[in-house]
Amino acid sequence: MTKLAKWGLPLPATIAVVVLLIIPVALTIATTFGEAKGAFSTYAAFFNSGFRRAVLFRTLEVALITTALSLVIGFVTAYVIAQMPGRLKSIMIIAAVFPLLTGVVVRSFAWLIILGKNGIVNDTLMSIGLITEPLSMLYTEGSVIVAMVYLFVPLMILTLTGVLEGIPRDLTEASASLGAKPIPTFLQVILPLATPGLIVGAVLVFTGSFTSYATPQLLGGEKQMMMGTFLYQRAMVTFDWVGASTVAAIMVVITIAIVSIMSRIARRLNPMAV
Amino acid sequence: MTASLTIENLSAHYGTTQVLKDLSLSVAAGELVSLLGSSGCGKTTTLRIVAGFLQPTSGKVRLGDRNLTTLPAHARDIGLVFQNYALFPHLTVLDNVAFGLKQRGVAKPDRIKRAMAMLERVGLAPFADRLPVALSGGQKQRVALARALVIEPPLLMFDEPLSNLDAKLRIDMRVEIRQLQRANGTTSLYVTHDQEEAFSISDRVAIMNAGRILQLDTPEVLYRKPANAFVARFVGFENLIRMKVIGRDGATVIAEAAGGTRLHLSQDAFGSIKDDFVLATRADGLVVRRDGEGIPATLGTRTYLGRAYQYKCQAAAGEITANGPLFDPPEAGAQAVLTPVSEQCCILDPED
Amino acid sequence: MPTRVHPLLGAFAALVFLFLLAPLVIIVGASLSDTTYLTFPPQGLSLRWFANIFQIEAFRRTAITSLQVAFLGTALSLLIGVPAAYALNRYRVELPRWLSTLFVLPILVPEIVFGFSLLKSITIGSGLPVFPSLILGHALLVLPYSVRVVGASLASFDFSIEEAAMSLGCPPLRTFLTVVLPNIQAGVIAAFILAFITSINDVSVSVFLTGPGISTLPIQILAHMEQFFDPTIASVSVLLMLVTVGVMAIIEATLGLTFLTK
Repeated sequence: MTKLAKWGLPLPATIAVVVLLIIPVALTIATTFGEAKGAFSTYAAFFNSGFRRAVLFRTLEVALITTALSLVIGFVTAYVIAQMPGRLKSIMIIAAVFPLLTGVVVRSFAWLIILGKNGIVNDTLMSIGLITEPLSMLYTEGSVIVAMVYLFVPLMILTLTGVLEGIPRDLTEASASLGAKPIPTFLQVILPLATPGLIVGAVLVFTGSFTSYATPQLLGGEKQMMMGTFLYQRAMVTFDWVGASTVAAIMVVITIAIVSIMSRIARRLNPMAV
Repeated sequence: MTASLTIENLSAHYGTTQVLKDLSLSVAAGELVSLLGSSGCGKTTTLRIVAGFLQPTSGKVRLGDRNLTTLPAHARDIGLVFQNYALFPHLTVLDNVAFGLKQRGVAKPDRIKRAMAMLERVGLAPFADRLPVALSGGQKQRVALARALVIEPPLLMFDEPLSNLDAKLRIDMRVEIRQLQRANGTTSLYVTHDQEEAFSISDRVAIMNAGRILQLDTPEVLYRKPANAFVARFVGFENLIRMKVIGRDGATVIAEAAGGTRLHLSQDAFGSIKDDFVLATRADGLVVRRDGEGIPATLGTRTYLGRAYQYKCQAAAGEITANGPLFDPPEAGAQAVLTPVSEQCCILDPED
Repeated sequence: MPTRVHPLLGAFAALVFLFLLAPLVIIVGASLSDTTYLTFPPQGLSLRWFANIFQIEAFRRTAITSLQVAFLGTALSLLIGVPAAYALNRYRVELPRWLSTLFVLPILVPEIVFGFSLLKSITIGSGLPVFPSLILGHALLVLPYSVRVVGASLASFDFSIEEAAMSLGCPPLRTFLTVVLPNIQAGVIAAFILAFITSINDVSVSVFLTGPGISTLPIQILAHMEQFFDPTIASVSVLLMLVTVGVMAIIEATLGLTFLTK
């Protein structure tokens, strides 16, 4: 009876993950090795193409910059939120949750209105006479990064607020009672204790932006092709499925590598666990 | 180095509720004073104000000749031992103890030497390189103590430091704390809700209720001569009998309780007695006899305490707890007389 | 008692919230513009672009599809996820570790890779029609919420209550429904809401699985934007934001929004 429940209850979900996720993704990766020109020929082709290398490096660059900016913005904001009295704190959390729960299409679209040729930024700059011709801000790496940071800052804020609230107030008080001023307390007590959480947040943002599709599609377009948009273009526009699968495989490998390395580091830095 | 602590007319509010009411207290240099009371009495608020974590609505805190009232917590130079130890989980035992020295700019070799010396004193030198998670509760508390002592603060404060330890360890630790405090001569303020702990460790104890200190005295005085009915009940006086003086004859006072029970009390033993008073005794202060002068009562449930039999008695003045003789004890249901032993009784003002 | 925050930090946080909320305010403004192009501040106030949404049949159709997919996908994920979460907590020591890792794979594998692989092997490979493919894809996409969020509330559930019920003669299924489920209700609601909103907003998986005639709202919005850049999109976005407001109201009423920082 127990044995039946123990293995039977998780069975449907297990089958679903295996049949709908593991096997399809494994097949996708397998096709990249089935080429007549040799097992790694598609990868050789990928890395020999300057364009494709540029797509990969651009994606890594955008993801890294997005992660760094989101970390700084998110951490400072979360720090402020954690210090706030109850009511103000709830309002700030609501203000961060609202964009988080609003869809990626809507949030990326907002930046089209802001950064477009007839967008607010251009309108404002022209009306105060700083520029005479509208700037082309869309379809640049900068526009993608701005929208990505916008996309991921709420996630970072909420993750880090949780992390900072989890640091017992006793510890900062103990630090102060031992003579540590606010900045040493921050550097010697809060920061080390928040580091595992910072790593988790960074991994979430990095993998999220590295694999994103809608934002680079809307704000980067053809000019700023990234891994996600490139995969889509290979698969659905040129119907080069092996090429698309190669992009997919590279994305999977990089994502899983980053997640497993960083979570191992985070676990090692976590002082709460032995 | 050690200094006296003076708290003057402290008031504090949480929102609109007043949690401290014009509280004053002074702790002499080298003395250990406990704040004792149930939760919500204001003892922890007082400690947090002295530590600088809370701002009082009014009043002053002075340490020696320094006015601490407006200083930030990190500039107060007070050693603090927390209820949950508050050890830094990311630092080793040694680094925890050296933390305060580091903030004071003590050079690394020196602070390691001093921290190690302090760890030796609390018997934890072999654990210097461990992280706090690897320690037992008692060891954590010793580290917390070492961390607070190593900065040689002029004032040491304890916030219910033993409440997370088991009973046996609690007794060992309080002796240890007392020894270290005595040896260093550090002025100390100790917050607890445990009467036995406060009495055993302190030079003086302040019994608090509703944001006020009701009595500040040595444990001996508190135990034998409570100053008011609240303190009397708090230190275990089971019987508080309201009485009125109906006649005076020289040093002897004739007083009557509800139900008409009369007692003759000597002002030589109790000092001058006001017309309206409360006679307070523990069960030991009333002797159960078959007859004689005293409070007539019907004996109720009898329990054996080892040193005596204890009775719940019904008297005209209400329910009274009294102890009876071990030899030939009266049975429950018997009529008896309860005679106050004047050395074990107190005359107090009525509460209302 | 909160400590004081340095004014510079406070000002920085205020700017961050301006950065977070201003773009959404701009969308609302743009949706009310009387012009045929997107602009902010709005020139002349009008609700005509909201009316326009309802004239475009594709928006109505895809909105219904999105709701159906989100509803059925979420329900399916709970149906298979809750028993899994239950077993993972009830038999924690006996079940292998990799089993719980298995259920977070849909988060670990890039969505876009998942969508593409599903298209290749399920929709094309097995010839499954578009609509059920979408439901299966979304169910799997949100499965981690079902397993982890419900699992979190099961982690604090005292299983001896269940044993008490059984010792009183309650059969296992009824015990689950009448004793366990009411105690993990908050977790189930939270999982449902998070899964639902994730599904409604999804692009990366849907972009591969939508086919001729069947599409979801976000994909339709993307398609519309490629042809027209008028305030209709802003109006649709405003309606989607209203959905978000509704979802937040439900979260606040059931769990409190601070739940999201845990």
